[in-house]
Amino acid sequence: MDLAIRDIAQHKGKFIATVIGVGLLFAVVLSMNGIYRGFIFEGLSAIQVTNPDLWVVERYRGGPFNEQSTVPEFFHYSIEALEGVEKASPFIFYGVERIINGNRKRFTIIGYDVFGGLGGPQNLTAGRQIQQAHYEMVAHEKLGFRLGDKIPLGLHTYTVVGLFKNGTAPDGEPLVYLSLPDAQEILYLRDNEEVRNQRERLQQTLTGPGRLTPSQAKKYVSLLVPDIHTVNAQLVKLTPGADSAAVARQIENRLYFSVYSNDQQINLMMQGRLAMPRKQLLLFRIILLIVSVVIISLVIYTFTMEKIRSIAVMKLIGAPNWVVVRLVLEQALLLTTCSYVFGLGVIYNTYQYFPRLVRLTLFDDTVTFLIALAGALIASSLGIWQALKTQPALALGGH
Amino acid sequence: MTILDINGLSKTFGSGELAVHALKDINLSVSAGDLTALLGPSGSGKTTLLLCISLILEPTSGTIIFDGKPIYRNGWTDIDLRRLRREKIGFVFQTPNLIPFLTVRENILFPLELVGITGDKAEARVMELLEYMEIAHRSNYLPALISGGEQQRVSVARALANRPKLILADEPTAALDTVRGKKVMELLKKIAREHQTAVITVTHDIRMIEGFDHVYHLKDGQLNNAADAH
Repeated sequence: MDLAIRDIAQHKGKFIATVIGVGLLFAVVLSMNGIYRGFIFEGLSAIQVTNPDLWVVERYRGGPFNEQSTVPEFFHYSIEALEGVEKASPFIFYGVERIINGNRKRFTIIGYDVFGGLGGPQNLTAGRQIQQAHYEMVAHEKLGFRLGDKIPLGLHTYTVVGLFKNGTAPDGEPLVYLSLPDAQEILYLRDNEEVRNQRERLQQTLTGPGRLTPSQAKKYVSLLVPDIHTVNAQLVKLTPGADSAAVARQIENRLYFSVYSNDQQINLMMQGRLAMPRKQLLLFRIILLIVSVVIISLVIYTFTMEKIRSIAVMKLIGAPNWVVVRLVLEQALLLTTCSYVFGLGVIYNTYQYFPRLVRLTLFDDTVTFLIALAGALIASSLGIWQALKTQPALALGGH
Repeated sequence: MTILDINGLSKTFGSGELAVHALKDINLSVSAGDLTALLGPSGSGKTTLLLCISLILEPTSGTIIFDGKPIYRNGWTDIDLRRLRREKIGFVFQTPNLIPFLTVRENILFPLELVGITGDKAEARVMELLEYMEIAHRSNYLPALISGGEQQRVSVARALANRPKLILADEPTAALDTVRGKKVMELLKKIAREHQTAVITVTHDIRMIEGFDHVYHLKDGQLNNAADAH
């Protein structure tokens, strides 16, 4: 006769209510696992989707994702001239927020060389790659755009020619790919008033005492426009068999840039921009697990205390300790397992509604379950200890 | 045949000036089929004596010979004592103390399973006891759904399940009205006579022990044998 099952069968309502309560707590634990994984996945997504052999960034900078980096656009010619480099191409990356069709949208623009350059969109789910120098875009499905949609950005309207679903910026914003000149234009587009002000400041600087006349200065001002030919990084593809470290050293020593492999770029992010939030989330997960175990422990203890007189009767009529231990332990394991399964069901049916990626993995689910089971065993020890120290005399009203 | 033989049993709680001598030099002998009543006011040591006889409380001195075996000698462990309790002693309590989440049938089945009796043999024994106690129609009820008198009969059935040599009843009528209380006592008498089971009952109520073979008075931890009914 299974006493634990009999007891639960007689207290179904209470058991179900407890399972729902503890299960929701497990759902929070599991969602935090998914949020943690999703945070890392999204944090590294742009690096992994772009996936060049080397990232060339501004000297002494850990860019372009971990910190800002600015490099001249045309240095890809110099990089391509080095031994071991098959291709180098410019890469620009920045976040924007625009009101499109009445909706506020945040996304990150990547500008790349659309004519055979590196860093373009991968694994399109619909449409095609950008084939024109201007006014075409490939967008993340999450933005809700459809093929053929006309999206106004800056001075121009861009046609959505392709869609994809893998690739977000480190802060989780969906990516939008544009040709490099379009991306630069949108990034550096300035207000007309600002352009006029800058010209006037420049003219005043040029016409100071001992410098140019106002008419001479006016001729030069139109020529001295700000340089928009800067990018955040140069992406490098190595020739087969090339020594990555040797090529990186050449670029660093000859061209005075910093160079990172994809793994180093990932490491920069993990040790830098993602480090603190990761620790924060990890700590929160640990606290949640501890809270879950404590709650299970209290529930099991309460369940046991409610049966303490029955346990005393069982011991008085000669039930061995294992009968009592099994009763408490089985209930702890059943409660934990049912709660966990309920929590798992809740999170697997809701994770897609979270605003940011919740990445659930079998590994995390299994580890959490095993920790929960171990926790239940520890938690039940309090109930077992209480049950074992119960005196059979309690059934007789004595001691 | 002697089932229980107690000689010079004493039980002292604490030591020195704080020592409480709960039982003093108790001598008691109970044979198969005997109906024995222990009377006494509160604090007289009835429960302590019952706990010693139940093999729950080890006496400070004296001997307990149960079914021919000296208890607490020759390395008796808690496991041995529990085995003896489940195989040879039945308990009836002041309140029925049924396990509330088991049905009437399961409450009687439980002690049988503890001694390894399962399946048809166990079910047959349960049915036999349910019919003997006239509660077969309540077989699948939970204890909370039957009357106090019926619960006490289930409690007696549970005590009888393993055909014990001794039934210990701790004020079995205290929670019942006079009519139901007398019925339970009649039942214990019937069991003693028909099954040759020794019955020791602790009670406050002298009206309930009519027809008992031995009546003892406990006062200040001492047993007065003079009240023997014979």
